[in-house]
Amino acid sequence: MQATTPMDPRVVDAMMPYMVDQYGNPHSRTHAYGWEAEMAVEEARKNIADLIGADSKDIIFTSGATESNNMIIKGVARFHKDKKKHIITTQTEHKCVLDSCRKLSEEGFDITYLPVQQNGVVDLDVLEAAIRPDTALVSIMAVNNETGVVQPIKEIGAVVRKHRGVYFHTDAAQAAGKIPVDVNEMNIDLMSLSAHKIYGPKGVGAAYVRRRPRVRLEPIISGGGQERGLRSGTLATPLFVGMGEAARIAKLEMQRDYAHVTRLSQLLLTKINSQVENVVRNGHAEGYPGCVNLSFSYVEGESLLMALKDIALSSGSACTSASLEPSYVLRALGAAEDMAHSSLRFGMGRFTTEAEVDFVCEHIIKTVTRLREMSPLWEMVQEGIDINSIDWSQAQH
Amino acid sequence: MASPPTKQMILQLYHATLKTSKTFSSYNFRNYFVDRTKDVFRDIQKENDPARLTTMYGDAVKELTVLRRSAILNQIYGGWKLAVEETPKKPEDILQRGDT
Repeated sequence: MQATTPMDPRVVDAMMPYMVDQYGNPHSRTHAYGWEAEMAVEEARKNIADLIGADSKDIIFTSGATESNNMIIKGVARFHKDKKKHIITTQTEHKCVLDSCRKLSEEGFDITYLPVQQNGVVDLDVLEAAIRPDTALVSIMAVNNETGVVQPIKEIGAVVRKHRGVYFHTDAAQAAGKIPVDVNEMNIDLMSLSAHKIYGPKGVGAAYVRRRPRVRLEPIISGGGQERGLRSGTLATPLFVGMGEAARIAKLEMQRDYAHVTRLSQLLLTKINSQVENVVRNGHAEGYPGCVNLSFSYVEGESLLMALKDIALSSGSACTSASLEPSYVLRALGAAEDMAHSSLRFGMGRFTTEAEVDFVCEHIIKTVTRLREMSPLWEMVQEGIDINSIDWSQAQH
Repeated sequence: MASPPTKQMILQLYHATLKTSKTFSSYNFRNYFVDRTKDVFRDIQKENDPARLTTMYGDAVKELTVLRRSAILNQIYGGWKLAVEETPKKPEDILQRGDT
């Protein structure tokens, strides 16, 4: 699942003591309440570190992946601004990465937005060619939130490592806890994580900032110097404990969860493909199976959404968000405007059932068939007219 | 070291866990924990190493206490019925917003 996930009941249970009784501030060193809270926070930190193969001292708690991305991208760039002026990212990144970069370009940084291939994967040669002597940071997400495309992080890490002084950041909000991630094996210097994508609470995330060799960044939030001075402010003990427990469970259940979503996504694809024609899957078919992005040709995107929105709401099922804007991620993949308009994103996760997938499929099939029956475009296609050959501007008079 | 659990102890724990899992009000959690309990105990059943078996049993005991608390909490706050839970599963039988 990539929009958001429900909190695992086991996570809620781990958080409860810190909302009911244990209200100590982890920074209070003078009494037992503080020690208890500190121990809980440190255990959570260790669980998160274990999930990504890091040292627990390298984990900084934040309010979510958006804050982590902001902190890392702006922080690294601004710390090194005297010598380095260049940042590399891709066109399919999450909005918070793209917008942080836009902000930096206003501050005089040079940003390269790498194109992706049609399957959504970055070309390693293009990446290597883009690295310059004054490059400070390469930021490439591990798993795309719209298409489920998995980037070759290990290979990218190896390319970046060849260039001294260039740091590699990956937004792993969609990857950690779902596919194996190891910061040392993949040569990752900085990473952003989110709790609510791994069945943890909303409003908490973490940043991995490597200490050996040390990656330096300028903090955005100043104050009491908590979290190695990178993120001041009183620690949110219940949230951190929740994220820690979510990470612990995610590590234990990763294989089972992965097998589960693989089975569900195969079910979804076979079912829809068997009854609806002209369905295009966006992104690499080898991507993360919990995220399936489909475009239904000749169906007006907004109508599809309107018809399906109610169903998703009333069933509370696996079918998740889709925006009315044509997706910039899909357009970066080279999808035509109309296909980007008629795309739907299906998120499946730990708590999705086969019955829900069946239910959603039935509705999709019914709705798409009904909308196509109403569509003049579909009628023309059935008659064998090539839609692209029509000059629409004349028809307006 | 604690002696490995007997067959009867495991069976008792299995029934208790399954029973607790079924008391979740929320459709998704209920289904997940029922399925998972079956998987976990199938693995326990297959385990031959007594040391491993003791750890797995210990984990399952701990988890049952967590599940018991979670199920109670879920009964209090959770469980709004999903369309997928209704018996007539056909799409045309489900009212949509705007239908009277």
